[in-house]
Amino acid sequence: MSVEKQKALALSLTDGFLSGDRLGSYLWVFPLLLCFVVWEAVTRAGLVPSSRLPTFSSVLIVFFASIQSEPFLLRICHSFMNLICGLLLAFSVALPLAFFAGSKNRFDLTFTPIIMLFGALPDLSFLPLLVLWFGAGNASAVIMASLAGFFPIYFTVREGTKNIPHELFDVTAIFKSDRLSTFTKMVLPAISPHLFSGLRLAYDFAWEIIIAIEIATRVAGIGDFIDGNVASGSLQSGFAAIFAIAIVAIVVDRAFFGSLESWTRRWA
Amino acid sequence: MENHVELDNVSKFYETGRRLHALHEVSFGVEEGEFVSIVGPSGCGKSTLLKIIAGLDTPSSGEVKFRGGAISEPHSKISLVFQAFGLFPWRTVLENVEYGLEMQKVPKKERRRQAREYLGMVGLAGYDHMYPKQLSGGMRQRVGIARALAVEPEVVLMDEAFSAIDEVTAEVLRDEVADIHKQTGKTFVLVTHNLSEAIELADKVVVLSSRPAKVKKIIPVSLDRPRDRTHTMFVHMHRDILHLLKEELENTFIRHKLKGISELQSIHDMEAAGTTRNLSRTKGEVTT
Repeated sequence: MSVEKQKALALSLTDGFLSGDRLGSYLWVFPLLLCFVVWEAVTRAGLVPSSRLPTFSSVLIVFFASIQSEPFLLRICHSFMNLICGLLLAFSVALPLAFFAGSKNRFDLTFTPIIMLFGALPDLSFLPLLVLWFGAGNASAVIMASLAGFFPIYFTVREGTKNIPHELFDVTAIFKSDRLSTFTKMVLPAISPHLFSGLRLAYDFAWEIIIAIEIATRVAGIGDFIDGNVASGSLQSGFAAIFAIAIVAIVVDRAFFGSLESWTRRWA
Repeated sequence: MENHVELDNVSKFYETGRRLHALHEVSFGVEEGEFVSIVGPSGCGKSTLLKIIAGLDTPSSGEVKFRGGAISEPHSKISLVFQAFGLFPWRTVLENVEYGLEMQKVPKKERRRQAREYLGMVGLAGYDHMYPKQLSGGMRQRVGIARALAVEPEVVLMDEAFSAIDEVTAEVLRDEVADIHKQTGKTFVLVTHNLSEAIELADKVVVLSSRPAKVKKIIPVSLDRPRDRTHTMFVHMHRDILHLLKEELENTFIRHKLKGISELQSIHDMEAAGTTRNLSRTKGEVTT
């Protein structure tokens, strides 16, 4: 990894905290550690029965063992792949639709109210129907994730398209940009700050939906793993899985979306 | 001599909701290398006219000719400097200036070189990697000017190009544009509401009437350059144009008033004829 990239990554890892202030950007570690210490103390002292909450140290041991076990990692990959497929599907449908809605007023007036109506419904209410139509498997998980991701992408991109100053379209016309270049070199960068925040929201929503579906329909991902282990009493494995999801979710959020947003922050 | 740009009876109507008559048979010519300023009462359609010359809008009737050929879309030899700069915020200064050349598929190395040359011309050498948000308004407009020049146009159109900049900076920039005009010998067309600016830069000033805009008067400016705003001729010219524009505003005012009076009169007539009850139905007919 080049120095530039490392710097960008480091920057993205600390963004949202007190960037620039070296000590300040690590202050969040202390309350987190305090939580773990309290957790350990409470469980060791027997204030909470171990059948309800295992000790933090035992969870850590299981966690480090789990992340070296192939089936465990495969389950995480499985959930992650369903999530990514869902998001790609959401992205490829929402982006053109949102772009039309943002630029063609008639289209917007015709379709956006309907999309708002669907967006207002809790996504999971569609789950039994999806299971009926597509079976309790990956297809349902992917479609659910795409449904969850669709709305934030659609509304942010539509807003972004509406906000492009008209003058910029004149600029592309004056310099004789063709339709493709106008889209890739003007419209896309112009809406990118909106698009990135939409994708980030979509990613967060999709994780919740994926885990919920796995628990509800036994798709063989990490959600199902948590459910199965908690039900059979191996709480340590359940917690280890939660830790793993948290790490994947946060690292992707910080590294991927963080660096996209640090790009837009340079100029926006 | 054939005109470089020629407007031949250009009229423009807009049909969104109410029919709006923006331009009425506007005709004038711009010679090669000439600097023409267009002034007119605010909202008269100056910018619409410039958009039509730029090929961004089409006339409802009449035509704009460039080197004798009618313009129906933007022409690669006609460039535009925008009022609000029109820079892409995600592109650096250099990338913004390169934009037009990039669209013309000029190889990267060549367009870099050319863009740097024009950045130098507008006094922004060394600002290559800054983003527009890091620049002042005056500097942003310099980027806008460099971008317009970089495609090596024959005609540079300027739409209120100095109006979004503070006065001192605008003054400096006007001098530089005058220099660029002198150095490059390109044809310039500037739309502005600032009369001093119009006279200071132009070889001739086209004064438009209020809407629908017609050519009210074309005033040649033969003062020596660089121009002195306190010169007697300059002051007189400024006063004359101001007078013309004031006359226009008064005409508009009187026209509105007369329209009001004629409506009142027709209502009065109808009342006299005892038709007040049918007023809502007949009013339209009577006043037209």
